[in-house]
Amino acid sequence: MTEEPHRWVEAVANRREYIETQLAGGSPIVAISAARGILLLTYGRDRQKLFEIYDRIAMGGIGHPGDLERLRLSAIEMASQEGFTRSPADVSLQRLALFALSPALKSAFEQIFSPPYLARLLFAEVGAEQEADVFIALDYDGSVAASGLPPHRPSRHFAVLAGSVPAREAMRTFLSERAGSALDEATALALALEAWAIGRMTTETAEPPELALVHERFTELTTDLQPEAAWLDRQLLAEPPLPFSAYRAFTEAGNAWPQWAGASL
Amino acid sequence: MNPPPLTPATACTELTAHPTAATVQGDFLSLQSGRPFGGAEASFHGPTHRAVGESSWQPTSATTVLGFRYADGVLMAGDRRATSGNLVMFERADKVLEIDGSSLMAIAGSPAVAWEMARTLRHAFQFFRRTQLQVMSLDGKVRALSRLLRENLGLAMQGVGMVAPLFAAHDSVRAESRLYFYDALGAEFESVDFAGSGSGSIGVRGILQYEDRWASKLNERPRGSAIQLAVRALESAAEMDTATGGANLRKRIFPTVKLLTARGIETVPEEELQAVLEEAP
Repeated sequence: MTEEPHRWVEAVANRREYIETQLAGGSPIVAISAARGILLLTYGRDRQKLFEIYDRIAMGGIGHPGDLERLRLSAIEMASQEGFTRSPADVSLQRLALFALSPALKSAFEQIFSPPYLARLLFAEVGAEQEADVFIALDYDGSVAASGLPPHRPSRHFAVLAGSVPAREAMRTFLSERAGSALDEATALALALEAWAIGRMTTETAEPPELALVHERFTELTTDLQPEAAWLDRQLLAEPPLPFSAYRAFTEAGNAWPQWAGASL
Repeated sequence: MNPPPLTPATACTELTAHPTAATVQGDFLSLQSGRPFGGAEASFHGPTHRAVGESSWQPTSATTVLGFRYADGVLMAGDRRATSGNLVMFERADKVLEIDGSSLMAIAGSPAVAWEMARTLRHAFQFFRRTQLQVMSLDGKVRALSRLLRENLGLAMQGVGMVAPLFAAHDSVRAESRLYFYDALGAEFESVDFAGSGSGSIGVRGILQYEDRWASKLNERPRGSAIQLAVRALESAAEMDTATGGANLRKRIFPTVKLLTARGIETVPEEELQAVLEEAP
């Protein structure tokens, strides 16, 4: 089969279609840069979907739990190895995602006799100031959507992950008009919730629905789902305690949680 | 015709030298594949080199560290001097090290090896927490240090890399802070009241024993009284042991005193230590 090029192309196309179908139902993930740091937010049924990878790096994923778990462990292992042998300052999201994970995802995807990763990953790395925040989304075929990397800085201040292309595009359109520098915590949280709902509501068109409709349908969209959120806290970078981690699971939203969003964290 | 073998996608094994499947879950040390701790030459403490098996082999550790249980948790303190033979190499060495938010290690012996052990533990505990999504248990932490000491036995027997640490960690299950001391082979002992290590520890242990028996129970003493006792005991050790550094108010060198409680770790500020030192009659 591999001796015939067109058969290989066909096999890869089939595989792409299969994976897209598998991922289509995935709950979207939003990452937004704010003054305090990077907020990551999603809703899930039972599994944890947001993870700490290293001191300044967090990950969220859509896909098969087993594949997500293997990729998460690989990422932590690589970051920890580098942080131990050189220094935690040498661990960067760019190196981790672009030089190691992306090629591995690509080759797993294209080796048609072995199973691919059913996974879509979103990484965020918090910087000393908002302009230095880095976001990288990796797809199952190793393709990359990055923001905040040199030489194309500055950062777009957000990144999204969704089960389907229309959902992703709708979330992007919505956030690119609103995300920006110096968002406060409550604004960032509201934007993240709205973007998540927009991703959840969109199946066909890439036009985001009206905000009023989003608010109205929010509780219905989150039936049987639990919110999950985390901060990569920029304020901790100024005087890093030892051992350091900027990742803080977000458990108490308090007054920042909008009324229309129903049950709080 | 047989179909080609189906191999699972192996990013883990491609990306890192050590496949996850072959290692203990969450074990950072196995990722390091037998990396030794520090360089043997880097010892500050210039001990006498003797062949393995020579009967007069004596471990040397020029230091005083102490730990005891007081009312709120565990106090750990140490002097600041690092020596090489008769030379004072460094007067601001930190020998009481924070491993994570709820564990402390006090080191006596070769600083190169000890600091590397502390660094390894920090990474190992973080790695475990990140990969396994839970905090390592108290027993797990205590055993991890024991394993590092055991692996260091070769260097210790050559007389260059001996480390005899104290370790304290908060036990969230029993809601109390616990204190352990180790021998150079890695045997761990839980200390019910106090422990000391290093060349100046003989005097310190005498003082702590005396205070505990005849003055008031160490584990009932409040914060202020515990700090005072630790500083005074270290000062006495510095008087009797050449390799233990005393406080130096002119150069503003103070011993390290850290408190481990249910709330976390607190480093006693220099001003407070200075006040304790100045109140001597």
